Amino acid sequence: MRVALKQSPLQATLLWAYAGLIYLFLYAPVITVTLLSFNDSRVVGLPFKGFTLQWFVVVFTRPELVTALANSLVLGIVSATIGAALATLLALAFRRPFPANGLVFYLIIAPIVLPGVVAGVILFVFFGLLKIPLSLWTTALVAHVTWVLPFSFLSLYPVVHRFDRSLEEAAGDLGATRAVVFRRIVLPLIRPGIIAAWLFAFSLSFDEFIRTLFLTGYERTLPVQFWYMIVESLSPEAPAMAVVIIVVSVVTSLAGALVSRRST
Amino acid sequence: MNRSSRNALVLASPSLAWLLLFVALPCIFMVVMACLTTGIFGIQFKFTAVNFERLFQSPLYVTLLFKTFRIAIVTTAITLIMAYPLAIFLSRQRPATKGLLLLLLFLPFWIGYVVRTFAWLPILGRAGIINQMLLDLGVINQPVDWLLYNEFAVYLGLVYVYLLFMLLPVFLAIDRIEPALYEAAQDLGASRWRVFTRIVLPMSKPGALSGAIMVFLLTFGAFVTPALLGGASGIMYSNVIATQFFANNNWAFGSALSTVMTAVVIAFLVGSSRFIGLRDVFLSRAGDRR
Repeated sequence: MRVALKQSPLQATLLWAYAGLIYLFLYAPVITVTLLSFNDSRVVGLPFKGFTLQWFVVVFTRPELVTALANSLVLGIVSATIGAALATLLALAFRRPFPANGLVFYLIIAPIVLPGVVAGVILFVFFGLLKIPLSLWTTALVAHVTWVLPFSFLSLYPVVHRFDRSLEEAAGDLGATRAVVFRRIVLPLIRPGIIAAWLFAFSLSFDEFIRTLFLTGYERTLPVQFWYMIVESLSPEAPAMAVVIIVVSVVTSLAGALVSRRST
Repeated sequence: MNRSSRNALVLASPSLAWLLLFVALPCIFMVVMACLTTGIFGIQFKFTAVNFERLFQSPLYVTLLFKTFRIAIVTTAITLIMAYPLAIFLSRQRPATKGLLLLLLFLPFWIGYVVRTFAWLPILGRAGIINQMLLDLGVINQPVDWLLYNEFAVYLGLVYVYLLFMLLPVFLAIDRIEPALYEAAQDLGASRWRVFTRIVLPMSKPGALSGAIMVFLLTFGAFVTPALLGGASGIMYSNVIATQFFANNNWAFGSALSTVMTAVVIAFLVGSSRFIGLRDVFLSRAGDRR
């Protein structure tokens, strides 16, 4: 009984038309870039001069682009793993009345509410004053874990709270140790949530740009490499590279959405 | 402290240590840095308010702060107005259609904002689609430049990148409204407009507030969109901060600008918390950035 509100055909048509326009607005740029990635032209734009795969060949053969892709994938995997692990423990802690709950909560959401540039600046200055040189596996990794940690926590929070506490209590009453209860009851129940949080964290890290721009030093991630590619001079392979980024982000996010759907 | 809250503290301590070390402490470093100066001999470790004097006295930075604030407010308002009809539309669909339409809505937002912003260049640029269409139609004789690198392009890009952050909480709030409420109101003779103003609007207010807070925060800190689409006239506060670090190498002044920006964000959050609990904004939206 969803269509409870009586609506005139005119109103329904208008709403459909409006929705159509919004979806067109959302998809037009993505479709344009995808089409242009196959355009046999050195100019990023129209006219369409014929179909080619050469820009994808360029993307997958130029060493700095392949390195950037590899950097992003591995950095995403490592920071998602650290972030999701930290977030799981944190979410489990929040099941009990927690000392200084309010202040702790603000500390956790701080990386989300801080403007991206400021989040980059504080770590840039921090490591700069401590004379720690910028690099992908030190400073950029710290920035990425800090960025994905609160989102992983927020996505795990309802998962950890949803399941029935009496299951744990029953196991405890039957003589299971805390470690056994965790391994046999808690972990299997929240595992899909952890996987979803991990995928979520991976895609956040994979797409992260502004913090990385400040903290990565000379080793670039894919979004940073892409950024320099389009601001220095709009290279003809830019749309192809955009499509590669689009495919990786959409596939991991879709996987995350499917997993988290199954877990609810 | 009892045993269970001690256990909780042990579980939370790795994350809290991480956040204290890499968020709280660096914030303090930023404020300290903002009170120093950067000269040709590096950082001068002598406290001074000179950076703050400069940034509050120079019309450039004051104007830019107001402009950034204005762009964030206007973008929030635009997304709010755009979101309502779509949220109502979605809430009226059958479950299967609704699921599909929602998935189609999420897909473009799963793509990083650098790529999504870049995607507007081949549409608005000189060799872009709009210019090509206008040329083909004979409306113009040569490509026009004014589609890009102005405030309009910035608004377009920001709405494009952040619309979902408004749409989702508004939709979730409207979708939760019991259909029986509408029926009751209409049986009692309420007009459609009255149903909207007396039921839909008040009941979706928490969602709208959540969305407004997120969109404001994201647009206030926008860097990529103004840099790629805004040109010289479209720059925002984040862009001048980045310039201090990447071009001018003036860490102290850059930190002072960052401190001001952080202060505005904190003031905004404190102000917002009078209308809606911040825990509700972030925890009920759990993980739905995706």
